[in-house]
Amino acid sequence: MSKTPILVIKDLHVEVEGKEILKGVNLTVNAGEIHALMGRNGSGKSTLSYTLMGHPRYHVTKGEISYKGQDLLSMSTDERSRSGMYLAFQYPVAIPGVSVSNFLRATVKARRGKDVPVKEFRKELKECMAKLGVKDEFLSRYVNDGFSGGEKKRLEILQMALLKPDMALLDETDSGLDIDALRTVAEGINALSTKDNGMLLITHYQRMLDYVTPTFVHVMQSGQIVKSGGSELAHELEAQGYDWVTKEHASTATV
Amino acid sequence: MTDRTTVDTIARETVEGLTARLSEPSWLSESRMRAWEAYFQAPMPTDRDEGWRGTDVGAIDLSKLKTYTLSKTVQCEKPLLPNWFETALKHFPNRGGVLFQSTSSDCSFNLNAELASKGVIFCDIQTAIEKHTDKIRPYLEAAGNSVEEGKLSLLAKALFNCGLFLYVPRGVEIDVPLFYGINLDDVLAGGALMPRLLVVAEDNSKASLAYSVGSERGEASGPLSLLSQYAEVHVKPGARVTFLELQQYPDSVFMVNRSNCLVDRDGRYEALTLALGGRQTKSDIATALRAPGASSEILGIVLGDEGQKFSFNTIQDHAASDTKSDINFRVALKDSSASTYQGIVRVAKVAQRTDAYQSNKNLLLSAKAKADSIPKLEILADDVKCAHGATVGPVDREQIFYLMSRGLNETVAEELIVLGFFRQVLEKFNFPYAVNWLGEEVSRKILGANDSENVAAFFQDAE
Ligand SMILES: Nc1ncnc2c1ncn2[C@@H]1O[C@H](COP(=O)(O)OP(=O)(O)O)[C@@H](O)[C@H]1O
Ligand SMILES: [Mg+2]
Repeated sequence: MSKTPILVIKDLHVEVEGKEILKGVNLTVNAGEIHALMGRNGSGKSTLSYTLMGHPRYHVTKGEISYKGQDLLSMSTDERSRSGMYLAFQYPVAIPGVSVSNFLRATVKARRGKDVPVKEFRKELKECMAKLGVKDEFLSRYVNDGFSGGEKKRLEILQMALLKPDMALLDETDSGLDIDALRTVAEGINALSTKDNGMLLITHYQRMLDYVTPTFVHVMQSGQIVKSGGSELAHELEAQGYDWVTKEHASTATV
Repeated sequence: MTDRTTVDTIARETVEGLTARLSEPSWLSESRMRAWEAYFQAPMPTDRDEGWRGTDVGAIDLSKLKTYTLSKTVQCEKPLLPNWFETALKHFPNRGGVLFQSTSSDCSFNLNAELASKGVIFCDIQTAIEKHTDKIRPYLEAAGNSVEEGKLSLLAKALFNCGLFLYVPRGVEIDVPLFYGINLDDVLAGGALMPRLLVVAEDNSKASLAYSVGSERGEASGPLSLLSQYAEVHVKPGARVTFLELQQYPDSVFMVNRSNCLVDRDGRYEALTLALGGRQTKSDIATALRAPGASSEILGIVLGDEGQKFSFNTIQDHAASDTKSDINFRVALKDSSASTYQGIVRVAKVAQRTDAYQSNKNLLLSAKAKADSIPKLEILADDVKCAHGATVGPVDREQIFYLMSRGLNETVAEELIVLGFFRQVLEKFNFPYAVNWLGEEVSRKILGANDSENVAAFFQDAE
């Protein structure tokens, strides 16, 4: 069975404000795979997700990224989105005055390249909302404005459900959620994972992985992926902590 | 029925000539003359004066302006209205009355029969002077003429050549809005139009009025025209008045506007100005809260492009205890447009337990756009709540990035953010259906006429 690569990252180096944060990341995500990226706070996980989405503050100094066979780095942020790259933000910003319903309609229009008739859109939206346990009153609120942490994460997943990405990056979508919300969000993720798309779940807890079974688990440390394995790696990390990887990495590094 | 004179300089004879042509009673010509004398004394503003900063006042040559007298209006069932005014009205399913003035056609108005039978007066100012002398005369005679009002506002008081009188008797509550429009067309290219608006809401009455001076012509070359307005609103004890003004003029128009609102005990005044500009607009909005329980909310939305200039001054007087004011101005500037906002809050020594809030936020949408924000607080009482804030800066890059990460290109992302920025103010304004009208005007200016579907959609979502 041949694999179709969706995202191929080679020797990626990234600087923020003149400081090198990512120091040679290599990662390949094939269609149908869910990858978990774990690691301590500050190890560079969000830097990777922002870089993949093209945030102007993150400068790629070396390496390449191919996305669905194209050179990702030559694409603007909105082009990446329209071609199916999706980032569920760790900290989504508020856009006061813009209602969730207006916002969603604009994003769906952009992604699909054409306007969706209002009625059809409403129907689709209501179905997605029902699945994710999102209340109707959500629609008339302003985007992320005054939202609780959990509400923000649900809105990120709701958008993902509507935009149907080919490559989804979920940056700590599990943090700040109570157990029920976590379960709903995880079900959403499982439902959206298909044989044709790829997912990168960024987390620093093993909690989420009780509900979503990753194909591969990677551990990031100081801007590099220092260990990769199957889903059992998450459990080892849970049992032994990150220190275990740190030590192991240190010893291999000195060889 | 129009009347046209070329004015070489605005001399005493000009006022005398106008009042003679209109066969006005002597009490009125005397009142005009007092305003003219104050006008004559007042110095011509320069762009170094406070409140005129950033304006291009030197571009007006008073000696070259032609003044007009607009025709009086006749009552009719279906007034003949220009397109721009019809477009506005179609947003409002229920209307209490419509009054329209222009130089070119017979002007007309209608007023809901039930309101007329309750004693509501809603007519052009010349008609009011003739037919409702006892009601209007005291206000026209008593109007002070302080130099502080500025030379050009005093000129409008002396030479007003059109205008409105709205009188709402004691206890009459009007729940449907009234509309007043003036056509600028014939006044373009070197003309001067000077409307005077007078609103009197007696004790415990209620009314809402929307006002706009407009034109079919968006572009206009040729000499500058002057639109100088003076409006006075009397909110008597327990009365509530809502006033909405759309300022959208061809780019050869220089507009100067002064409004004085006096709010009595437990009265409430709410006003919103949507300023889409002309060559230059300068508005002074003065609100005096004169007795305990009086309150006001003054809102502004300013959207500039190309070389448009805006200057807004709010003058908020707390003259009595237990009064409350809320001022909220939001400005977004494209291209090389510029805005100055000055917010004066005065709290008199007796005005204890004043609650005053003032906010002015400016979004610069281009590197060449400029905004100034100048708060001025003069607080003499010691038990007051007074908060103010001002921001000037570009659109938040993180908001843009978030929207772009959802497929919107940078331009659309920015437009959406600006619409949201304005919407927060529009939604505070308590004037049914106004959000649809104003939202459409704002969207049209931001998005361009060809994006008609989005123009209609943005402000009308929530279900
Ligand atoms: N915008 C930024 N400006 C300065 N430093 C940053 C910025 N973003 C991230 N960093 C630094 O990069 C490192 C990695 O951060 P981040 O990618 O957020 O890690 P993680 O998501 O794994 O917690 C940290 O040392 C952080 O301080
Ligand atoms: Mg992070």
